[in-house]
Amino acid sequence: MDLLRLAWRNLWRNRRRTLLTVGAIGFSLLLIQTFHNLAIGSYRQMVNSGVRSGSGHIGIYAGDYALSREETLSYLPGELPRTITGLADVQQVVPRLYLPGLAQSSRESRGILLTGINPELERQINPFLKRIPDDRMIRGLDSRDALIGDRLMDELKLKPGQKLVITVQHRDGELAAELFRIRGVVRTGVKEVDHSLVMVGLNRAGRLAGIPGQVHELAVILHDSAVDRPPLKEVQALLPTRNDVRALSWEEAMPNLADAIKLDYASQKFIFAVILLIVSIGLINTLLMSVMERIREFGILIALGTRPARLRALIAVEALLLGAVGMTVGCALGSGATWLLIEYGLDLRWFITQELEFGGVVFDPILRARWDWPWMAGMGLLLMGICLLASLYPARKAARIEPARAMRHH
Amino acid sequence: MALIELEKICKTYRSGNLHVPALVDLDLQVDTGEFTALAGPSGSGKTTALNLIGCIDQPTSGRLRIDGRNVADQTVPQLSDFRLYQIGFIFQSYNLIPVLTAEENAEFVLMLQGMRPEERQQRVRPLLERLGLGGLENRRPSDLSGGQQQRVAVARAMAARPKVILADEPTANLDSSTARELLELMRELNRDEGMTFLFSSHDPLVLEHAGRVVRLQDGHLVGDERKDG
Ligand SMILES: Nc1ncnc2c1ncn2[C@@H]1O[C@H](COP(=O)(O)OP(=O)(O)OP(=O)(O)O)[C@@H](O)[C@H]1O
Ligand SMILES: [Mg+2]
Repeated sequence: MDLLRLAWRNLWRNRRRTLLTVGAIGFSLLLIQTFHNLAIGSYRQMVNSGVRSGSGHIGIYAGDYALSREETLSYLPGELPRTITGLADVQQVVPRLYLPGLAQSSRESRGILLTGINPELERQINPFLKRIPDDRMIRGLDSRDALIGDRLMDELKLKPGQKLVITVQHRDGELAAELFRIRGVVRTGVKEVDHSLVMVGLNRAGRLAGIPGQVHELAVILHDSAVDRPPLKEVQALLPTRNDVRALSWEEAMPNLADAIKLDYASQKFIFAVILLIVSIGLINTLLMSVMERIREFGILIALGTRPARLRALIAVEALLLGAVGMTVGCALGSGATWLLIEYGLDLRWFITQELEFGGVVFDPILRARWDWPWMAGMGLLLMGICLLASLYPARKAARIEPARAMRHH
Repeated sequence: MALIELEKICKTYRSGNLHVPALVDLDLQVDTGEFTALAGPSGSGKTTALNLIGCIDQPTSGRLRIDGRNVADQTVPQLSDFRLYQIGFIFQSYNLIPVLTAEENAEFVLMLQGMRPEERQQRVRPLLERLGLGGLENRRPSDLSGGQQQRVAVARAMAARPKVILADEPTANLDSSTARELLELMRELNRDEGMTFLFSSHDPLVLEHAGRVVRLQDGHLVGDERKDG
């Protein structure tokens, strides 16, 4: 207790230096915590929008369709959508059929990806369809309505309400064509998608390709509460064993997005490491200075009978107190900044005007942070640990002071 | 048996190739209850002798026994504890820990010994009173005069009731009347409490107060006179 009091008072002997060091620790913690929270928040946003328009949190495919996109790997979902939706964590199971094909207007033709969807379900979860007004949606699974990417529509020189012919390969090898009418326009912001997207009712697409009722993908969308712990095993357990249908996590189904996030976070971690390194060097310097200017005083302490180990403990406690104050300040700042970034978000449109694409996914330009309390606490403790480490050398120096020599020091 | 026994003590400082003999074959004995001054001009080896006796420096050769114990046989933590319980130090100046109050400074050695705060206070308060520091208990050293600071250092050394108090030029930074007061106080404590004092000085005024004056010159013992009383 007395050691603690002495250390605390010693800490404030050089008020300005201590405040500067506290500021450095606090500021680095502010940066690290805030950037981490912002990063995981924005990754969550990207995953959410990517997952909802893509594989789902869990995607169910025949064979290696997720990677090969081999058209013949379609399957009959049977009761799966119903049984999987029965799981507590599952919000929605969305069927999709993907058929490469050709779209023709009276003047132009373009290669497309015809996507058969369940418009009602899709609209509930797909962020790009949510924006489309009700009277612009596909009416039913069998209708001849089509949603079309905005760029594709321009290239085909078409307008909503006009017709186009879509040709795909029938499963028997023949070409099959059908006339659709443009009902609504989709804009995802991903150029390749907007160039090639045509969505129609699932049943009509299936019949056109000669595979009625089949799907390429069941996208399982989870409730927010289950996103961090996807029930992959439970879903797998529901799959029939006879054919080659498997459930993949979104990371496996959309490796581009997963890798982009990993890479981005890796570069963040590197920056965090650099920040911590700089703080460490500053800390060692501060602590060493504080020891070197007290050589005579430590000489007296040793002469009076202070054991070297106790002197080392004093320096370590001083460093820990410094770290604790810095950590408190840093956590307060980091929490405040995170709160602001959750409440108000960071609007990237101040900096960039184009749409934002990341790993093949378009995301909301207003980034929002997310709390990660365990991580924030971990970083605070890590900084305390760094303080302790930084004190080792100065503490050793103090403990090795020879009092007789130190006393000649004035 | 003498409290402090120096037998053929030599101390040679080495700075680069230069060997500086600070003490040469010093034989000296100090008994319990003595009030002894080490006298001698600057560079004669007074500080060196006190540092050796205080176990904060090691002799180059010779034997040093304190309270019957051979100092050379002790480990570093043992020496720490030995100083903590058996020896009191008063240095020339800047004795005190600047962030502690007068009372906390006076209690410091007791704190190191692990004594409980109430007990410490009981021990130190009357001592501070006696040393004329009543009412100044909560002042930091920077708010005390040089004489007051030295008296706090005396209180700190006294509080632990060590076997001997070593004081290296305790009055060197004080004006002559303050110096005389401090010396008289130390002498009183020596008489009343039977505390052994060994202090250095080259000030003739100070030496007048000593019960015994040991004279050093160039590291040699050149005189040892005892006064009666
Ligand atoms: N660390 C050291 N390195 C080299 N020489 C030293 C060292 N300490 C003391 N000396 C030398 O040893 C001799 C004795 O020094 P010491 O300090 O014991 O004398 P002193 O009697 O206390 O002098 P003063 O009255 O000036 O305090 C001097 O010649 C001094 O220069
Ligand atoms: Mg000296």
